Amino acid sequence: MKVSLNLPWEKYGIIAELAYRLNHLGLRFGKTALQKLVYLLQELYNIKVGYDYSLYTYGPFSSELLSDLDFVESLNGVDVGFIPEIQGYEIFPGKANESVRMKAKDFLDTVSENIEKIINEFGDFTAKELELRSTIIFVNRDLISKGKSNVLGELINLVQAIKPHFSKDEIDQALSELEKKGYIIN
Amino acid sequence: MTKTYEIRDPIHGFIVLNEWERDIINHPVFQRLRRIRQLAWTDMVYPGAMHTRFEHSLGVMHIATQMFDQIRTRRNEFLKSELKFTDGGLERDAILIRLASLLHDVGHAPFSHAGEELMPIDSTNGKPFKHENYSAAAISYLMSDVIDNHPLNQNYAIKAQDVADFLNGSPSVGRSLLWRGLFSSQLDADRADYLLRDSHHTGVSYGKYDLHRILATISIANHPETGAPIVIVEKSGSHAAEGLIIARYMMFTQIYFQHTRRAYDHHIASALKRVLSHDGKQSKNGKITFPPPTCKENIESYLKWDDWRVLGMISEGLGGEDGKIIHERRHHRRIYETPEIPEESDLYYVDLICHRLGDMISFLDKAASSWYKFGNEDIMILHNGNRLIPLSRLSSVVGGLKAVNQTRVYVPYSRKNEAKQIIEMLQNGGVK
Repeated sequence: MKVSLNLPWEKYGIIAELAYRLNHLGLRFGKTALQKLVYLLQELYNIKVGYDYSLYTYGPFSSELLSDLDFVESLNGVDVGFIPEIQGYEIFPGKANESVRMKAKDFLDTVSENIEKIINEFGDFTAKELELRSTIIFVNRDLISKGKSNVLGELINLVQAIKPHFSKDEIDQALSELEKKGYIIN
Repeated sequence: MTKTYEIRDPIHGFIVLNEWERDIINHPVFQRLRRIRQLAWTDMVYPGAMHTRFEHSLGVMHIATQMFDQIRTRRNEFLKSELKFTDGGLERDAILIRLASLLHDVGHAPFSHAGEELMPIDSTNGKPFKHENYSAAAISYLMSDVIDNHPLNQNYAIKAQDVADFLNGSPSVGRSLLWRGLFSSQLDADRADYLLRDSHHTGVSYGKYDLHRILATISIANHPETGAPIVIVEKSGSHAAEGLIIARYMMFTQIYFQHTRRAYDHHIASALKRVLSHDGKQSKNGKITFPPPTCKENIESYLKWDDWRVLGMISEGLGGEDGKIIHERRHHRRIYETPEIPEESDLYYVDLICHRLGDMISFLDKAASSWYKFGNEDIMILHNGNRLIPLSRLSSVVGGLKAVNQTRVYVPYSRKNEAKQIIEMLQNGGVK
């Protein structure tokens, strides 16, 4: 049996591609945005990059994605820099950004349209806004997977309990906006 | 007054239990952990590493309780006014945290993480089940009698399913999801215990850090960018937090991803596959796996597997070639490895080696696929009483640590010299 390295270039490619596109559009791309945009790509557009997400008070989070970000940085696919004004990290395309994207070209070509859609719909949200929206989607999918229907009331209550730093109005507004876009299963 | 009991622990001194917890510990599902070694075949390299999941589980309960009590004492007002906890809710969470941390590992396969390679695919997400799924299933299917109906549970009405949901981080736990940070994060009680315990039993000092300082400075605050409540460490504990992360890095490189230890993880997984095939266990796609944790019968059948049973079958010659290799300590040899943080040229080179060695290679081991990964999740530090700053920013040591992504190439012992020669010729430019 022949053994080969089989690196998951599609995972590295998504990270490099998001950094490239958001930077090109002049949009902020922090570690929270990376976590939430990849989650939304997987969940809303069924893009199979295979990250496993768990829910925290700060929304869906994948530790594997964070490790892959490090690896893509070590390949110079992205640069990660600390921005003192926001006390957080921001991700920029690195000098080998194109080379990393090229290795995932076949995969990125097939998902290019969906990446564009996700950036159009969520790319200019703040980290806080993305965190709320991805949490709503996570809780919605969890309720549906448990065989529940007419979940909106329970969904709002749970999101409010998990994220007490958002008002009910903020949650209602984000939920209705996601509903209008057809992202909520009820 | 509730009667208490003490268990002597090599790391924490006395671990105190009540009657409810003692009854849970005496349950066969928990007693099985005495027969699951914490670090599989690590004793092939560090002979002292014979400890089990049993003592680790007690340690996690002990630390998680201390973390929770500390946060509750220091941030009682914040928990109530900003996060809307009540005294009754916090009392209940305290018990849930103890039970969930005590039971978090009951779903481990024989030889801990090495056995996880034989877990079947979860059809709901297309990924293999994890031991956490088996833990949750074991609690909800098999432990409701000792949890739901215990006399000490009268005031709390905690159900086995609540413990399983709490452990899984299910959204249904609502505001209590805050405590997930004590189970699964850079600062969790699981890591806090296993670093010290594994260090103690292997005889190394790499995993030691100042737990007491962490416990004295652990707290909660709102994330500066998103406002989400998170578990943090106050400034005076920043060097202890630094010590914890360095301990993780050192234990990963020196113990968990030690090259000979990893060879035995491979051998036990292959021997287990053989052992399971004798038992006729196959998933729908024809692969040899444990039964999925989807019903009571399956979880009962799964929990019959422990180290003792597997060792007995290997001893009877049912572990195949890998069983013999373990028996004779004739493990496959690491013939090549990339740097811990490989560059693109390193990846090309290891690919070239794979091509040249062909089917001489028995397996490739990737740090990224190991359960004990070294990633770079950050810890937030409360600086000057009002500003949260990532530890990676405050500490140049932590800021410089990157996720380990090493790859190693292994060949059978009998082909080691042959493979070595090919690699030497490659390095000297002798093979085109």
